[in-house]
Amino acid sequence: MDLALQLFFTGLGIGAVYALVALGFVLIFRATNVVNFAQGEFSMVGAYLMVVFAVDLQWPYGWAFLAALAGMALLGVIFNLGVYYPLRHRTFLPVIIATIGASIFLANTVLALYGPAPQVLPGWFETPGVQIGPVYLDSQYLLIMAVTIVLVIFNFWFFEHTLLGKKLQATSQDKEMASLLGIPVATMIMLTFVYSALLGGIAGILVAPILFVSIQMGATIALKAFAATIIGGFGDVKGAIIGGLALGVIETFGAAYISVPYKDGFAFLVLVAFLIFRPQGIFGERVAEKA
Amino acid sequence: MTRRRLVGTLAFAAFTAVIVAAVALIPMQDYTMHILVQTATFSIAVFGLAVVLGLCGQINLAQAAFFGFGAYAVGLGTSTLHLNFWLALVIGMGFALAMGAVLGMTTLRLGGHYLAMVTISFQQIVTLIMVNWIALTHGPDGVSGIQRPALFQSAQAFLAVCVFAMALVGYMVWQLPTTRLGRAMRAVRDNELAAGVAGVNVYRVKVAAFALSAVLGGIGGGLFAGGFSYVSPDQFSFAESIVFITMTLLGGVSSPIGALIGTGLLIVLPESLRFLKSVPGLYLAIYGLAIILIIRYMPDGIWGFVQDRVRRLLPPPPFAGAPEELVLTQAGTASPGQEPPALEVQHLAKHFGGVKAVDDISFQVRRGSVHALIGPNGSGKTTTLNVLSGIYTATAGTVLLAGSDISAVPGHARTIAGLGRTFQNIRLFRSMSALENVVIGAEQGGHHAEVSHAALVERARAALAFVGLEGRAHERVTGFSYGHQRLIEIARALAGQPTLLLLDEPAAGLNSSEKLGLLELLRRIAAKGLTILIIDHDMTLVTQVAEHITVLNFGRCIADGVAAQVLRQPDVIAAYLGTEPDAPAFH
Amino acid sequence: MTLSRRRFSAAVSAAVALPGFISRANAQGSTIKIGMCAPITGPAAEQGRYAQTGARLALDAVNKAGGVLGKKVELIIEDDQTTNPGVVLAFSKLSSQPDMVAFIGSIRSTQVHAMAPDVLKVGKPVMIGGTDPALTHMGNQWLFRFRPNDSYSGSVIADYGVNTLGKKKWAIVHSTDAFGTAGGNALATALKKLPGATVALDQGYANQSQDFTPVVLAIKQSGADVLGSYFTFENDLGVFARQLRQLGVNIPWVGSPSVVNVSALKLAGPALYGTFGVADYAEDSSPASKAYGKLYRDATKIAPDNQSSWTYDAMTILCMAINKAGKTDPAAIRAAILAVKGYAGAEGEYNFDANGDGLHGYNIVRNEKGNIVFDKHVESRS
Repeated sequence: MDLALQLFFTGLGIGAVYALVALGFVLIFRATNVVNFAQGEFSMVGAYLMVVFAVDLQWPYGWAFLAALAGMALLGVIFNLGVYYPLRHRTFLPVIIATIGASIFLANTVLALYGPAPQVLPGWFETPGVQIGPVYLDSQYLLIMAVTIVLVIFNFWFFEHTLLGKKLQATSQDKEMASLLGIPVATMIMLTFVYSALLGGIAGILVAPILFVSIQMGATIALKAFAATIIGGFGDVKGAIIGGLALGVIETFGAAYISVPYKDGFAFLVLVAFLIFRPQGIFGERVAEKA
Repeated sequence: MTRRRLVGTLAFAAFTAVIVAAVALIPMQDYTMHILVQTATFSIAVFGLAVVLGLCGQINLAQAAFFGFGAYAVGLGTSTLHLNFWLALVIGMGFALAMGAVLGMTTLRLGGHYLAMVTISFQQIVTLIMVNWIALTHGPDGVSGIQRPALFQSAQAFLAVCVFAMALVGYMVWQLPTTRLGRAMRAVRDNELAAGVAGVNVYRVKVAAFALSAVLGGIGGGLFAGGFSYVSPDQFSFAESIVFITMTLLGGVSSPIGALIGTGLLIVLPESLRFLKSVPGLYLAIYGLAIILIIRYMPDGIWGFVQDRVRRLLPPPPFAGAPEELVLTQAGTASPGQEPPALEVQHLAKHFGGVKAVDDISFQVRRGSVHALIGPNGSGKTTTLNVLSGIYTATAGTVLLAGSDISAVPGHARTIAGLGRTFQNIRLFRSMSALENVVIGAEQGGHHAEVSHAALVERARAALAFVGLEGRAHERVTGFSYGHQRLIEIARALAGQPTLLLLDEPAAGLNSSEKLGLLELLRRIAAKGLTILIIDHDMTLVTQVAEHITVLNFGRCIADGVAAQVLRQPDVIAAYLGTEPDAPAFH
Repeated sequence: MTLSRRRFSAAVSAAVALPGFISRANAQGSTIKIGMCAPITGPAAEQGRYAQTGARLALDAVNKAGGVLGKKVELIIEDDQTTNPGVVLAFSKLSSQPDMVAFIGSIRSTQVHAMAPDVLKVGKPVMIGGTDPALTHMGNQWLFRFRPNDSYSGSVIADYGVNTLGKKKWAIVHSTDAFGTAGGNALATALKKLPGATVALDQGYANQSQDFTPVVLAIKQSGADVLGSYFTFENDLGVFARQLRQLGVNIPWVGSPSVVNVSALKLAGPALYGTFGVADYAEDSSPASKAYGKLYRDATKIAPDNQSSWTYDAMTILCMAINKAGKTDPAAIRAAILAVKGYAGAEGEYNFDANGDGLHGYNIVRNEKGNIVFDKHVESRS
């Protein structure tokens, strides 16, 4: 029982990381109908920016964090202008490939600028964790879960209760209609990318103290986060969160009780099962094409 | 085979013979041979992607897994099981084919991003198995001591085999777009819904595309194993799949020559751009940037760019003789009056959850008549049409086409059974010419295999001539005006020799002179005896062409009969115009 | 200025044609050429840099001492891209130059396997660092190994843990790649030969796992009193070490060389204090290794590790052998290398056996609050 509890909490912890990255995926998808294969690299760049400001330049943590976020916002703008916007009228396939190219570009630019050695990023807290009964909770994971909850609440409030959020929603649902109503679609899309980049960066900064900062840190997380969004229901925010958490728990239990080396395979098996039997995921809706 | 194609084939065969001989005989360094083997075997795998991605438009991010199946089959087969090389290669091909078909079967429910994810998951699972199932695959140690076929032991002889295989496969992929299957694949890529309605079995075509792509990947992998004598799991990972995709895109996504160019460049360039390697990551960063730029500025790749220039210079071959007269109906066997109606709908219902879009409607369309289905917005007209053409499955009720029950028949098969249809928003295959679009309608996905291709082309020409556009048969459809595109779509439906022509808002988007042209066309079609069922809002068109009208409102049938009478009925007028008609609306 | 399609295509054509215009400097026959396949790109790029540094330090020393056969030695490096086809291409490019005398190959065993058929065909000596024992037992007479292979690391870990630390119940944690699997097997095999020693857990994990909780819990559950490990990547090591301590596991830990690498120490920090590692290179293990350490630090300002020490030894011994043979004939060089006995290199004392293995033991080092302290050297009995 102790074993299961510990596994459960660790699973939730890693699941919260997937959930955060998945949130970024879902937002971009809802706004542009595009899956951004470079979302994982957003997290990686955010973590590296934090290393530059907090470790190399020795700025106080708070200022370094803000500077890193500013950098991520800039990345979101450049990404939109360079990758998505010129291709917005094409079918999804060129855009997917272009985002794959962007992910290779980002990963290797960071490699060229910073070098291949993994970096250490100190966490927010001095104490590494708390022991509650038989279960050890890494304090950084607790922080990640707390931030995820805050972000989900913020997301809900923003999209449902502010005018800007509603405009963003409108743009994501029907670009043409939104522009006919006077909503500046290009700006909305830009904001979506900036917000997604910020989310990705925050995810990277939060997870870096646990997983260390390396060029490849974004890749596996992103793939699993993408799987989580499909399991939760593509295009659905709460689906992304729940999908991410569920995936973290499934993976951890699978590793403990079935096989550690095949751990990554569980995510994909679950994904394939969902895709075959319930492609709309747990919460999604099937969208039929208008004939 | 046309003379042009024959000449092309002979030239290709001669060229291949020269190249293979050169490769076999000219002494060359080990380094050159290794590069050439890698290029040849990778090219075969990339040809596979040219088929599934370029031609059929389905994304396959698992090509490295299929490459690996072939490689491991040859590797384990020759070194551990001591099988003959060719036998091992065939086993690998068979396994890859089966796995490719399985992957293709997932397209039944999925497309787009979901399909991409399935292929990625498949790839990742395969890699995990290759690494961890040590008893079978030797795990990360890989398989060494792979043998070559007995007759081609030397490196150079084997290289010649690889080059020959590449040329053979390349030829087949080059010819594929102009075959029935190839055309069907292109139709699926351009517009799946329209392809289905034109008679193509979309699902089967996608499965075939995946299977073909997988087999080619397997062949490439098997030859690769023989060439390098050692394989290990890290060569068949997701990263390699991305490399294959990039090679496909760089050269030109749907042509084998493009694939060859892309592969060659991406193998040779890193070798020659070694000065970029001094800073780790710089080369790959440029590579990633290049992908973005290529997608943006050269979406058809290098070869596509070249082809485009060439195509403008080369005119297509001229037709032999004038087009025939279009035949639209088959002679009926029963005497008139005793023939079953062209279409009979009995108690049809279609519910979407709680919404009853269509709620118990029944009507008949008499043979040779022009029948209109009208109703205000949301009355269920288009839903009915979609149920009739098989895009939706009815919740209840029966549909009889010329007396036979087609309620359970899938969409493309209904077309083959005699149902032709056009769409409210025009669905033509944008990458093809007018003639090719109509030919697909005539071919009906290969149903008329017993009829010669030439005869089908003639029929297509006849249909195009009937709508007045035969003179521009070879132009790409995107160059026609909206009104003319509508006519091409109608021609495509007519080319399939339908028993019943379903027209969904054919006047939508047409200006007044185009509407007159359409009206005149419909009259000519009716004069030839073809039954037409038309759905439209434009009352002028409906009243001028329809003999019978069925009126729907809120999913129910509220009137059905001779046009003039139906249009006078008060509830019809109320449904369309509101409660008080202040002037006779129609006459 | 917007980039039109035409301009872009022109640029691509130029880029493709450009390398043809770059002329290559042609070396005349006035130097002794040694070729080296190293990862300049790909995941092992960092290690590739260290490997090159080691080789070049040796090269400079040799040339300063008069060179080889009266001529200067020249090192030609080709990028193997950290892939198997890449190393085959790199080797064939190097070996196509007929005046190449010998080669320095890879530290990754799968790459050595991949290039082995070509090495056999070319018939010239290749110095390798890969530790798969099979590499020197597959009938290829041209491979010479400059690191102790994994059968030795396994037996040294087992020997130290059981005989020196007195712990008999083992948990083995290893990555599932070639290195980890072979190492795990070697350790398990060695433990079988020691009376009283048992393997309570043999746990593989996939590289780049983000979480090791299941592994740590499995160790706890197995009741093992000592841990042996083969980790490939330092970030995995760091995450694992941290989680191990967080979940309260403090049994003695004897690990493969990555456990004491500079990178691992930086990442894991206090979590690795008190661990033992088998290291083929340990700075304090001998005067020769100390001298190498000083040489390396002076040149690069960072601490040396086994990524560079083996190439240093390989280059030094190779040049020494060519000089002893008196000619560049491959068979003569081979004989001279195999005749090397009692040579004190940076990695240890080289006594070449008939298979081409130069080293047969490992150093045990301890992580003493962040400093790597040499404990002792263990020659393998097997």
